[in-house]
Amino acid sequence: MEVVVDENELKAAGARRLEDGRFGLRIHGWEIESRKRSILNSSSLLEWEHRLGTSHMPEMVFGNSSLTLKHLSTGTVIHFNAFDALAGWKKEALPPVEVPAAAKWKFRSKPSQQVILDYDYTFTSPYSGSGAVEIQAEPEIERVPKVKDDLHWVDCEEQIDLVALAVKEPILFYDEVILYEDELADNGVSLLTVKVRVMPSCWFLLLRFWLRVDGVLMRLRDTRMHCIFQDNEKSFILRQICWREGRLEALSSKGYPYDAASYNDPSIVGQRLPIVMQRSQKLLLSDNS
Amino acid sequence: MSDLDRQIEQLKRCEPLKESEVKALCLKAMEILVEESNVQRVDAPVTICGDIHGQFYDMKELFRVGGDCPKTKYLFLGDFVDRGYSSVETFLLLLALKVRYPDRITLIRGNHESRQITQVYGFYDECLRKYGSANVWRYCTDIFDYLSLSALIENKVFSVHGGLSPAILTLDQIRTIDRKQEVPHDGAMCELLWSDPEETVDGWGLSPRGAGYLFGGSVLTSFNHSNNIDYICRAHQLVMEGYKWMFNNQIVTVWSAPNYCYRCGNVAAILELDENLNKQFQVFDAAPQESRGAPAKKPAPDYFL
Repeated sequence: MEVVVDENELKAAGARRLEDGRFGLRIHGWEIESRKRSILNSSSLLEWEHRLGTSHMPEMVFGNSSLTLKHLSTGTVIHFNAFDALAGWKKEALPPVEVPAAAKWKFRSKPSQQVILDYDYTFTSPYSGSGAVEIQAEPEIERVPKVKDDLHWVDCEEQIDLVALAVKEPILFYDEVILYEDELADNGVSLLTVKVRVMPSCWFLLLRFWLRVDGVLMRLRDTRMHCIFQDNEKSFILRQICWREGRLEALSSKGYPYDAASYNDPSIVGQRLPIVMQRSQKLLLSDNS
Repeated sequence: MSDLDRQIEQLKRCEPLKESEVKALCLKAMEILVEESNVQRVDAPVTICGDIHGQFYDMKELFRVGGDCPKTKYLFLGDFVDRGYSSVETFLLLLALKVRYPDRITLIRGNHESRQITQVYGFYDECLRKYGSANVWRYCTDIFDYLSLSALIENKVFSVHGGLSPAILTLDQIRTIDRKQEVPHDGAMCELLWSDPEETVDGWGLSPRGAGYLFGGSVLTSFNHSNNIDYICRAHQLVMEGYKWMFNNQIVTVWSAPNYCYRCGNVAAILELDENLNKQFQVFDAAPQESRGAPAKKPAPDYFL
């Protein structure tokens, strides 16, 4: 999804495109890069299954796609990738969601030696991004491995200023990266994507897990991050996590339609789904060094 | 040039037919399909193709790689529609070829050839968009009910869209199904179109969704043995490499939609069987951008919140 951005706009914002075929931007001490690649092939899938300790994976795993935002002076790296998200799925291990046809199937005569599989086929994950602080112990010696430290997100009261984000500043960089996707064998959709937009004053991203099990439920797990560029020590990232979930029965009792075709666009559907969890967090960028 | 030949030429340019032409074509197709068996006999040589999903230009690439119909004889394992941009043109071209060369192309039913599924996954919306009414969708979905459920090549290769059903032990049991209906939610006809092989089970597995069967190696061994077939050729599941053997070559999945949904980057495959049933997979990529009618859509940056 390449976007033609006016060179003058980049220059005026002090931004520079990444080189060597990389897709992204350097701006105000940040390096922001997206990578979009093919789905994993069969041998990589097997290797991932082994590493994740599962024998079931989404149909489409964009395992080599990612979005990375690196704050160069503090070594803070925010990273989005399918592997960590699937590790989260494996750990959360929600019970399976039954489709409407299941009620009828319960009364069928069972074949001999039937095994009931019970993994979470919706691939619901609590993933809200990966990250680390990478500190080069001896900056002049390339071979010394970087010391990694976890990011310290702290709960906070502040909210992302959506009004300010609604202002149509020029978008200097935009991309959407799919991390994984499954069609639930034509029973709906499970989709994890991350979108980013970089403007002269800030960057903003939305990591979204979207699940629709046809005739049953919808689940939306959004993580938004916002960072206003400022060259002082007060630089920080705000992160807001919001999980919504609703069963179709409950929605239709409120007068919303029942058929799956009406629920294709999560940003519209999202408004109708009750919030089940939300939190705001802050990551200071200067304290880490 | 007959009307039908003209229509085929038109469809090959990815131009849809008029509504009245679709209606007439479907009526003719119905007369042919109604005569076909639930286990349609097919002679070798034949080229077997998996899911297409409305990826019209990639199907043209398939014909470029596999040869034109009628020169090459084809068996398509269903899922012609949904998800891609051009389900209408894709299905109508296949149907027009079927009417023009009934013995040179066999179309069997996939789980997407259904009223319910096409209303969710794109074909219904595409018909509305292209024709302004649901009439073409109605003609096409009525034809779906007449599509055969499976094919048997030289009595040795059993072909079906999804897989096996615990209700089906013999091919004769498939022959007794009354197929002229919407795909049901359970039972033999449903499972032939929906079920999947699954490495983690040996016998039968029930999907964690609570509906949908999975089958393992021992089920395949006994089915293939009791029906005296060499292997099963099916489609229904995306395979990055275009095809995939499982359970000691007792079943092969063939997938014919390259760069699925225009973003997966997978290759596609077709399986060519010669007159002695020797196998040759042809693997192919998505059609190059310049051979596609319209330029790729580049969505504008979006002020998402």
